[in-house]
Amino acid sequence: MSKQSILESIRQNKPDFQRETGKPEQKPVPVSKSQTTALKSFISALEATGGEVVECSAAEADSLISEKFPGILDFTRPEIREKYGEETPLSEFDKIETALLNGAFGVAENGAVWIEDRDMPRRIIPFIAQHLVLKTEASQIVGTMQEAYRRINLSGTGYGVFIAGPSKTADIEQSLVYGAHGAVRLTVVIPKMPDFEA
Amino acid sequence: MTSHAIKAAKFLGNEARADWHDETLWIVRQKRDRMAASVPEWESLREQASQIKEEALANLDVYLEQFESEAVKNGATVLWAADADEFNRIILNIIQKHKTKNVVKSKSMLTEECGLNHFLLEKGIEVVDTDLGERIIQFRHEAPSHIVLPAIHLKKEEIGETFHEKLGTEKGASDPTYLTRAARKHLREKFLAAEIAMTGVNFAVAETGSVVVCTNEGNADMGVQAAPVQIHCMGIEKIVPRQEDLGVFTRLLARNATGQPVTTYTSHYMRPKPGGAMYIVIVDNGRSKHLGKPKYAAALKCIRCGGCMNTCPVFRRSGGHSYGYVIPGPIGSILAPERSKSGCPDLPFASTLCGSCSNVCPVKIDIHEQLYCWRQDLTEQGKTALSKRLVMQAAGVVLASNGLYNFAGAAGRWAVGHLPRNLLYMPLNVWGKGRELPIPPKESFKKWYGKNKNHGK
Ligand code: SF4
Repeated sequence: MSKQSILESIRQNKPDFQRETGKPEQKPVPVSKSQTTALKSFISALEATGGEVVECSAAEADSLISEKFPGILDFTRPEIREKYGEETPLSEFDKIETALLNGAFGVAENGAVWIEDRDMPRRIIPFIAQHLVLKTEASQIVGTMQEAYRRINLSGTGYGVFIAGPSKTADIEQSLVYGAHGAVRLTVVIPKMPDFEA
Repeated sequence: MTSHAIKAAKFLGNEARADWHDETLWIVRQKRDRMAASVPEWESLREQASQIKEEALANLDVYLEQFESEAVKNGATVLWAADADEFNRIILNIIQKHKTKNVVKSKSMLTEECGLNHFLLEKGIEVVDTDLGERIIQFRHEAPSHIVLPAIHLKKEEIGETFHEKLGTEKGASDPTYLTRAARKHLREKFLAAEIAMTGVNFAVAETGSVVVCTNEGNADMGVQAAPVQIHCMGIEKIVPRQEDLGVFTRLLARNATGQPVTTYTSHYMRPKPGGAMYIVIVDNGRSKHLGKPKYAAALKCIRCGGCMNTCPVFRRSGGHSYGYVIPGPIGSILAPERSKSGCPDLPFASTLCGSCSNVCPVKIDIHEQLYCWRQDLTEQGKTALSKRLVMQAAGVVLASNGLYNFAGAAGRWAVGHLPRNLLYMPLNVWGKGRELPIPPKESFKKWYGKNKNHGK
């Protein structure tokens, strides 16, 4: 294998770019102002990506979800997770109309929501479902991607993804079409705890 | 004329389409501007991104080894390929080892660069490209004309025709939603049957051994999460040192590419799925040698956003296929002379040197300055077109001599007024192809200045 020869060639050729190339100075990460401002920009960014938003109180979240999305598969519940485990054939996943997953936190500047292995029994669920519903607490919105990466621990998970809106394409004459391969529709349910600042 | 100019002329032959191409990419550029302006720290992010990439390239051997050892700890298999041949053979081996022919692939300019699809086809393996734009051009046996918008050269009627033939959509149907739905159905079958899924890589994090892939369609994930085996293909320059660096790059990439605040999916692959296998193939193919060229190494900072293409007045009016290299546009024109087999000596001249590419580049590559340097180097090496060199040599002699310059000026003013068109626009006048000579003034600026310099005093 060519590993050693590639590394050797890099050692001989690597540039110095005429300046100190130590770890660049990290500019302070802009921090979101208040919870309410962060939530507001999260919602408008998410809507701009074609996503839908449902705001509610934490207490009413579950009943609201099952009322609004009848037949939804709730993957926050252990018995549903068990039914869709490692042994379940892909064809079963392909039949999923609406799936509910927990989203750990959202990003105000772009409407993205972070999900990782612990939120789903199989990694294909957020992509193969026709309609994806994510549940993310109103207090769990960070300002920017720079803040977001401080919250994540990649080494602690096998797979993680930011999802911002439904799957989309503009490959035919730049016309925007939702539902290229992944979810055609994306909803984020945002429950607020009683102590969420108004 | 140069090869680029000939193909550009062909592209411009269809005026309506060329106008559409030009305007559409300009709209993308304007969306990018709005997005960039909405981030107050944009310029500081560009500077940070540039510095992170320079740090990564200056210590690339160290970071690559760190990346490999972390990835192996995570359960991935890491393979190294010195060139395109070795890369293609490694992929073939993996496919043969897993005894399958069902391979899907999301966007990867690296596999285009290495000619992987073609190589595998000769071995009887048909890779299915799953990005909608790439599937369209795969059906049509064409190459991508843009690194982010691979089918931007096509009109929806042509795509409708192709889908009618390949997917049985209604004849004459060209509605983008209808066609996209047909592709969704067709590709779902391919995803569900896939045994191996390949992807490109946007960023490879040395600190954690993970690879990051950004898509809007979700095709990378549909493939990777459906197939038991996943293969991620990356050039050596995709390394970023730390997880936190991703915060800088994901803020820049989509904003600068398509004017979105982020791609729909930003996927982080760390470990294989239970019972699955994960391969990462690291490819050199001329990159390490490129690193050793002080004037040109910065081109390896590129994060493939396509921003320089959308803004380039030449790209917008000549189309990606006119470049004849796998990466077109301004960045392609500084990569090709170093990395392509033919050297593409005409490409650094396919530019107005307006500098717009360097201005939009999120990692601050000095693209237009490199274009200028390549022109000089290629001319010195005798690789540019003979007519261009002769004219330039003559110009050099004339411009160096005061007397000759004065005479040539007078002669030129006379000639443009008096000589027939076919002599003025003869084949040696490469410049005159597609350009109109200005109407000459009666006297030279020097003469005019001599007469008028005391006015206004
Ligand atoms: S050179 Fe800069 S602007 Fe062009 S594709 Fe690369 S990163 Fe984007």
